[in-house]
Amino acid sequence: MNFSDETVMAYADGELDAATRAAVEAAMALDAQLAQRVARHRALRGRLRAALDPVLDEPLPERLLASVRGAPVQRHAAEVIALKRKAAPGWSWPQWGAIAASLVGGALLGPLLLRAPAGGALVTRDGQVLASGALARALTEQLASSQPPGAPVQIGVSFRARNGDYCRTFVLREKSTLAGLACRAHEAWRLEVLAQNPAPPAAATGYRPAGSALPAGVAHTLDELIAGEPLDAGAEAAARARGWQP
Amino acid sequence: MEENGTHERNAAIDVGASSQGLREELVTLLPRLRRFARALTRDAHDADDLVQIAVERALTRAGQLRPDAPLSSWMFGIVRNAWLDELRARGRRARLFAPAESGEQVGDASQGAHADLLAVQDALARLPEEQRAAVALVLIEGLSYKEAAYIMEVPIGTLTSRLARGREALQEMLGET
Repeated sequence: MNFSDETVMAYADGELDAATRAAVEAAMALDAQLAQRVARHRALRGRLRAALDPVLDEPLPERLLASVRGAPVQRHAAEVIALKRKAAPGWSWPQWGAIAASLVGGALLGPLLLRAPAGGALVTRDGQVLASGALARALTEQLASSQPPGAPVQIGVSFRARNGDYCRTFVLREKSTLAGLACRAHEAWRLEVLAQNPAPPAAATGYRPAGSALPAGVAHTLDELIAGEPLDAGAEAAARARGWQP
Repeated sequence: MEENGTHERNAAIDVGASSQGLREELVTLLPRLRRFARALTRDAHDADDLVQIAVERALTRAGQLRPDAPLSSWMFGIVRNAWLDELRARGRRARLFAPAESGEQVGDASQGAHADLLAVQDALARLPEEQRAAVALVLIEGLSYKEAAYIMEVPIGTLTSRLARGREALQEMLGET
C-alpha cells in the first residue's frame, strides 16, 4: 500500500486516526522504505528539539521577569525622548533642556540644546520642538537618494504619516549619537522623537538585523506614524518639489 | 461563539481578579515562549525582545483571553503576531537602508551543541516565515496540528502542507541525521 507524504508525516506526528495508524504500522512491518520515511521525520524532530531545548534551561532574563511582574515598563525609555505634540503650558526651553539632559545625558544633548537656540539644530515654539538651522535646511532640501556621504545631516526614510503630513528620519552626523524623526507642519519641521543612536556595533556578538541603522525608538515612532510604504526616490523628489505640502 | 460576548466579559472580570494568577502562569510559560521565539528569530536578543513585547501585550489585553483556549496557545499567537509586525517593519526599513548589515552571523560557532543550534537556526531562518512557524509549533513545541492551525489562524490543510514543505526543506539543508 502506498502512503502519501502527508500521511507518513501525520503518522510520525501522532496525528492519524486509529485505523489509518494501524494500516501504516502493518505496512511498515513489511516495507523497510516506509519505515525509513517515518524514521526520517522523527529524526528531524529530534534534531530540532536537541538544538532548541537547551533554551528551556537557560536562566530567565531579569527583564522578562520584570515585565511579567508588571513593573512599569518603558521600552526604549533610556534612549528616547518622546516629543509630545501637546506639551504642557510653560514647557520652557530650560525645562526641556534639563529633562532631555537627564534622559540622554547632558554630555550628548547639551551642546545641541542648551546653546543659544539660534545656533542650534532645534528650537522650541509654542511648546513644540522644531528643527532649525542646518537640520531644518537638510530636512527641506536634501534627498536621501543623492545626499553626499559626508553631509552633517543624513536623511533616512521619508514617508506620509497617517494624518497626511510628510515626515523624515535623520541622523545628525556631527553628533553621531543623535537620530530623530520630524514631520512637516505649518511651514516647519516638528520633531516627533529624538533618540540616542547606538554606537556602530563592534562586530562582536551575534546577528545585526538589517535596518538596525535606526535606533529602536525612532524606528518605533516610524512604525506608529507611517501610512503605507515609505517614499521611493521619485516620490521623495516630487514631495520636495511641492514644498512637503500634503 | 454566540456566547462570546458574555464569555469575554466574564474572562475580563476573572482575569482582573486573578491577574496574579495570570502572571504566575506567564512565568511558567516563559521558557517555552523563549524557545519558540528563538526558533522564529534566530537571534537570542531579538527573541527575548519578542517575548517581552508579547508579555506586555498579553497583560494589557488580558480581557481578550478566551477561557476555552489554553493560555499557551494565546501566547504563542501573540509572539508570532509580534514577530510578523517586526518582519514587516524590517522589510520596510531594509529597503531604505539597503546597504545596512544583513544578518550575517559572526561569532564562534565551534562548540558542539552551540554549533548545532546555529546550524538548525540558520536552516530555520531560511524557511519562508509560515513554514518556519508551522515547524516551530508542531515539531519543537509539540503542539497538535489543530492547535498549531488555530494559533496560525489557518485551516488544518494549510498547516499540514506548510509543515510538509518546511520539513522537506529542512531535511535537505540539514542533511540526514
